[in-house]
Amino acid sequence: MATPNDDGCTLTGALSVTTEIARCVTLIHGPAGCAHHNFSLLHALHASRDFALPPPVLSTDMTEKEVIFGGEQMLEEAVFCAAEKKPDLICVLSTCVAAAIGDDVEAVCRIPSVVPVVHIPTAGFLGGGFLAGHIQALISLSRFAGQCERVPSVNLIGEKTLEYEVDEHYREVVRLLTLLGAPVNVRFVCGATLDGIRRLGGASLNILRDPSMRPVGDHLHRELGIPYIDSFPLGLGGTLRFLELVGRQLSLDPSAAVAAEEALQKEVIGTFAPLRRKRVTFPAGPAAESASRFGYELAETLDLEVREGGNPVPLPDPFPVGTSGIRRLLHRWRRKCHA
Amino acid sequence: MKQIALYGKGGIGKSTTSANLSAALSEQGLDVLQIGCDPKRDSTRMLMKGRLIPTVMDLVRERGDDRSLTLDDVVYRGYHGVRCVEAGGPEPGVGCAGRGIIATFQILERLGALRADVVVYDVLGDVVCGGFAMPMREGYAEEVYLVTSGELMSLYAANNICKAISRLSSRARSRCRLGGVICNAKNLPREEELVAEFAGRIGSSMIQFIPRDQVVQSAELNKKTVVEFAPASGQAAVYRELAWKIMENSRLDVPVPLEIEELEALAYGYSE
Repeated sequence: MATPNDDGCTLTGALSVTTEIARCVTLIHGPAGCAHHNFSLLHALHASRDFALPPPVLSTDMTEKEVIFGGEQMLEEAVFCAAEKKPDLICVLSTCVAAAIGDDVEAVCRIPSVVPVVHIPTAGFLGGGFLAGHIQALISLSRFAGQCERVPSVNLIGEKTLEYEVDEHYREVVRLLTLLGAPVNVRFVCGATLDGIRRLGGASLNILRDPSMRPVGDHLHRELGIPYIDSFPLGLGGTLRFLELVGRQLSLDPSAAVAAEEALQKEVIGTFAPLRRKRVTFPAGPAAESASRFGYELAETLDLEVREGGNPVPLPDPFPVGTSGIRRLLHRWRRKCHA
Repeated sequence: MKQIALYGKGGIGKSTTSANLSAALSEQGLDVLQIGCDPKRDSTRMLMKGRLIPTVMDLVRERGDDRSLTLDDVVYRGYHGVRCVEAGGPEPGVGCAGRGIIATFQILERLGALRADVVVYDVLGDVVCGGFAMPMREGYAEEVYLVTSGELMSLYAANNICKAISRLSSRARSRCRLGGVICNAKNLPREEELVAEFAGRIGSSMIQFIPRDQVVQSAELNKKTVVEFAPASGQAAVYRELAWKIMENSRLDVPVPLEIEELEALAYGYSE
């Protein structure tokens, strides 16, 4: 079944990646409107994460004249102008119109420039939606990653930069990795730099945000030989398994980390003991389906009764990450149950 | 006002036929406007003594926008007062020529250029995209004439154009119809019979047979239409006959395109 991530436009998905990279200019080759509505969306979402500056997005402002006579020369001039701003990287994103008239955007991006230029094909009419654009951008950018000395560390791959609580999810993963003694090498791409992307090959393990990022995990495995696990930790048992899995992959003994986390989970569950034997109802619909197994796990642990007519409790998708995510969720459940 | 469009395979003689037709129509005392709808821009050259006139798209490219264009910038008067326009388009291999045709029509509409007793649209070889179907859309040509020889690939292109006419004519308010088939002969055996049968099979008729004649090449080498270069020739008489028939023609059909196997069998039957 299609999910909201499968809908939308590849251009927006790719922008959610490129606008995260420090000192990177994103140049959209197409009509100004394609840039404008994405810019507005990103600006609003970035503001909610306290980003001080608007996203550095430029448009070639293609008009009917370029549609008729071709837009390659205009793009070349726009890349030159973008390079004059001396960014670390220029990402050129194509649009429906540029692809429909056959502009060879890739060829223009290969013209030698003082700044690295990467083309990310994002003509929405070719299909794929937001998620395909997100994946395509990560794969295109990974060309800058080279082999380098490997240390026991992890890369975080494919964080959903526009999702609610993205920073909370990150902090929870870092907390868990710290229990294991495993540092984060590179976030690809939240807050990444071009130098960071070049150092991707230094990690021993990639942790994907969720299984939808498997194409990126597979690509990096092929190119850099880095194995991956396909999700951030979700649910009580899932968080403990995450620690075991990462520990095994990095040849670190996870037992102390698992014991510490189990103790924390007992404490959290104890805090929410007043919820015991409450009746709750999970939201219906496909969005909540994937989160429901974690919901049932929580309900069983807390001895809640899930049935129709109970207190309606939220079951967010994506499900909150790790034990800290569960704590935040249980606060919301407690309010709904008036416990 | 009568608006007609000539379509056919590239190199089949559409521009030669269109220019001679326009010349012959003008000799009847009619105000004729010929619009070349092909980036090659050579539709009206023989009417303009061999001159390649500035195209609408050239002017847009040079000036950056079309707001400053006037009628005098885009319309050129040629042989016997025939008014000539070339749409033009992008350099080969870049951009979208079809969109160029659409933009040209919008500019010509805005300038009020599409006024004449007869407007002749000479359109690029095949209806490769929606832009080249523009002359068939509502408000423009109501009669399409297919120019073809008896060669299979020429008939194949003509048959494809029938598909476009058939599709467009099914739209509400569409008045675009097939006026007939013009055989521009290549001196193939039984060519006239073959093209006449093709025309009948698609539900139309062959309106004119234009024999192959050296005078056409001579006229072009002298940068003139046959009607101007050799007005007393038999070939000029054929073009005048075509002009007369088109003005009198009241048979307008929705064509029924042939399946490829049927078309091949038809051509094969005349190949012995």
